[in-house]
Amino acid sequence: MKETKEKFFSGAGFPIKPVYTPDDLARLDYGKDIGLPGEPPFTRGLYPNMYRDKLWTIRRYSGFGTPEETNQLYRHEYELGQNGFSIAFDAPTEAGIDSDDPRAAADVGATGVPVDTLLDMEAMFDGLPIDKAATAIISQTMASPALTAMYFVMAENRGFDLRTLNGTTQNDLVTSLGCLYLVDQIAPRHQMRFAIDFIEWCIEAAPRWHPVSFDSYNYREQEISAVQELGILLATAVSYVEEAKKRKLDLNRFIRPFTFDMGCHNDFFEEIAKFRAARRLWYSIAKERYGTTDPKCWQFRFHAQSAGCTHTTQEPLNNLVRIAYQVLACALGGAQSVHANGFDEGLCLPTEDSMLLSIRTEQILQHETNITSTADPLGGSYYIEWLTGKIEEKACEYIREIESRGGVVEVLESGWIYTEFLKAMTDHQKKIESGEKVVVGVNSFRLSRESYKAPVSRPNLKAAEIQTAKLNEVKRTRDSRRLERALQKLRAVTADGGNIMPPVMEAVRSYATLGEICNVWRELYGLWRIPLRP
Amino acid sequence: MQPNNPKVLMAKPGLDGHWRGILVVSMALRDAGMEVVYGGNMTPQEIAEAAAQEDVQFVGLSLLSPGHMRLISETLDALRERAMEHVMVVAGGTIPEEDVPRLKTLGVAKVFGPGSPLEDIVAFFRQSACQPRD
Repeated sequence: MKETKEKFFSGAGFPIKPVYTPDDLARLDYGKDIGLPGEPPFTRGLYPNMYRDKLWTIRRYSGFGTPEETNQLYRHEYELGQNGFSIAFDAPTEAGIDSDDPRAAADVGATGVPVDTLLDMEAMFDGLPIDKAATAIISQTMASPALTAMYFVMAENRGFDLRTLNGTTQNDLVTSLGCLYLVDQIAPRHQMRFAIDFIEWCIEAAPRWHPVSFDSYNYREQEISAVQELGILLATAVSYVEEAKKRKLDLNRFIRPFTFDMGCHNDFFEEIAKFRAARRLWYSIAKERYGTTDPKCWQFRFHAQSAGCTHTTQEPLNNLVRIAYQVLACALGGAQSVHANGFDEGLCLPTEDSMLLSIRTEQILQHETNITSTADPLGGSYYIEWLTGKIEEKACEYIREIESRGGVVEVLESGWIYTEFLKAMTDHQKKIESGEKVVVGVNSFRLSRESYKAPVSRPNLKAAEIQTAKLNEVKRTRDSRRLERALQKLRAVTADGGNIMPPVMEAVRSYATLGEICNVWRELYGLWRIPLRP
Repeated sequence: MQPNNPKVLMAKPGLDGHWRGILVVSMALRDAGMEVVYGGNMTPQEIAEAAAQEDVQFVGLSLLSPGHMRLISETLDALRERAMEHVMVVAGGTIPEEDVPRLKTLGVAKVFGPGSPLEDIVAFFRQSACQPRD
C-alpha cells in the first residue's frame, strides 16, 4: 500500500522505520544504559517514584507593566495554585539598562517587568511567600548579579536567611547572547567571568540557591534541532565547568546546584527521547568526564516550556491543543517544573483567561489523566529507547564540534553559532514555504472564513513614566556618598579580578540602579556588538 | 539596480530583541535580488538617518513587542522631519489586526503579521517598487 509520505523523518532528521523491535536495541544494556528511575544513569528519571512523590512544579514565566502590577499578577497566580514564580523582565532590564534611558521608553514594562533598583524587587514580592514558592530569576548574564542581589537583599530585609533561600538565577551565557538582541553588552569572555564569579559566591553565601539554569529554550526557538539544542545546552555547562577547573574550584560543589531549562516542541516522541537522553548524557559528563562523586551533580534537573515558535497567530485556539501535547511530552520526559504557554503568545502577552487556561492545562494533566502514577511510562518502548540513543549519540558529536571550536565563548565571539542559527531558521522557513512542513491553519487546511479572534492584552503605556518618577525619587533620597563608594569599590574589584558579588551586594544596598552597576563594567571593558550578519 | 529590485533598510525600532522574523525576511529579500541594509535594533532617529544615508526606497520595521504603535509612529515622524516621505514603510511582527487600519492612516504601506508567506512579502516589495511614486 502506498504510504502517506514518501519518507518519514524525525524533527532532527533521523529516518523513521515503520516499526521498531528488540533488534534496534541490540547494543543497549538495560542495567547500564536504562536502569531504574532514581538510579544512574537516570535515563528513566531522577527519582524512584517520580510524580507519585512530588508533582512537577507549575511555574509560569510572567511579568509586565510595573513591579506593582506584577505583584498583583503573582498573587493571583499563587491563588490559582501555581507554586513557583519565574520573572519575565522587560527588554531594557534584560539588557542591563534603566527605565529612564531615552531608548527604553516604548519597551518599559512591555514584554516583561522593569526592575531598576532594590525598591522594585521589594514591590514585586511584597507579601508573597518566597519561602514556600521558589522564584526563578530569568536574567541574562550581565544583569544576573545585580538582579539576584536585589532579590537577596529584599529577602534579607524581610528576615529570610540567604543560607536557606531556595530559587534559581538563569545566568546562561548562550541564551543571553544567542537569541535576542541586547543593546550595550560587553564581550562574552567578560560575561563568562561574571557568571562564574556569581556561582562561586552563591555556593558559599546562598548554598540552596541554583546560581545557573542552563537554558536552551530560547535558542531552540530559532528552529535548531533537538540534537543541536541538547548539544549547545550541555556544551555550555561544560564550558562553565572548564572555567571552574581553571580556577581550581571543587567541582562537586560547583556542579551540584546546576539546573537546566529546555523547550518542548512538536515532535512528541523525539522531545521525550531528548529529555531522557539529556539525563543520561549529563550523568556521563558529570560522573565520568569530571569525576564528581556527589550524586546531586549527576542529576539533570530541568524545567521545560511549550515552544512559543510552534504557536500560530492564525486560529489561535489551535495553540491550546499544541500546548497540551507539548506539556504532556514534558511530563512523560520527567520534567521537574513546567510552563504551559498562553495560547495567545503569537498575539500579545497572555490575557487573564489565557493565563488561567495554561495553569489549568497542567492541573488537568496532573490530576485527571493518571499519567503521574508510574515513572517513565514509555521506558522500554523500542522506538523511544532507540531514539534516546540516537539523540545522545548525535548531541555528543555536536558538543565535540563546539569544543573543537574552543567552547561557547569562542563560538559566540567568532560568530559561528549565529551562522548555525541563521541556517536553521532559513531551512525551516523554506520547508514551510514548500509545504514539506505542515502548519495547520497556516500553510495547510486554511479557513476560508474568519477564525476566532482572541482578545488582545495591552501593556501599561505609562510604565516608563512611572518607573522614571520612581528612579528620580530614589536618586534624590539615597546616600550619594555611600553609593559612590560602592560603585568605586565595584570598579576596583572588577579591574583587579576579584569576585564581583560582594561589591554588587553593597551597591544594591546603596540603591544603585541596574544600569549604574552594568555601566561600571561597560566603562571598563567597552561595548561588544553581537556578530549577527544575515 | 533593477527597478523591481529595490534597496531596503531592515530595522527593529526600540529594544525588543526578537530577531528571527527580521532575519528571515532580510535573507528572503536578498535572495530575491534586492539590496538589503540590515540595521537591527535602532532608535527611530537612527532609522531615519540610515534611510537617508543609504538612499533606500523601503524601510522594513519588525516589532514583536506591544510598543509597536508608538515606535512606528516615531519612525514615521523621524522620516518626515528629514523630508523622506517618499520612502515606503512596511511593518511586520506581532501587530494585532485591529491596529492595522490606524497604522495605515499614519502612513504604513503594509503590515505583514506572523506566518505571512515570504513569497507574498517579496512580491509586495517588487510590485510596489515598480509603481510610479509621487
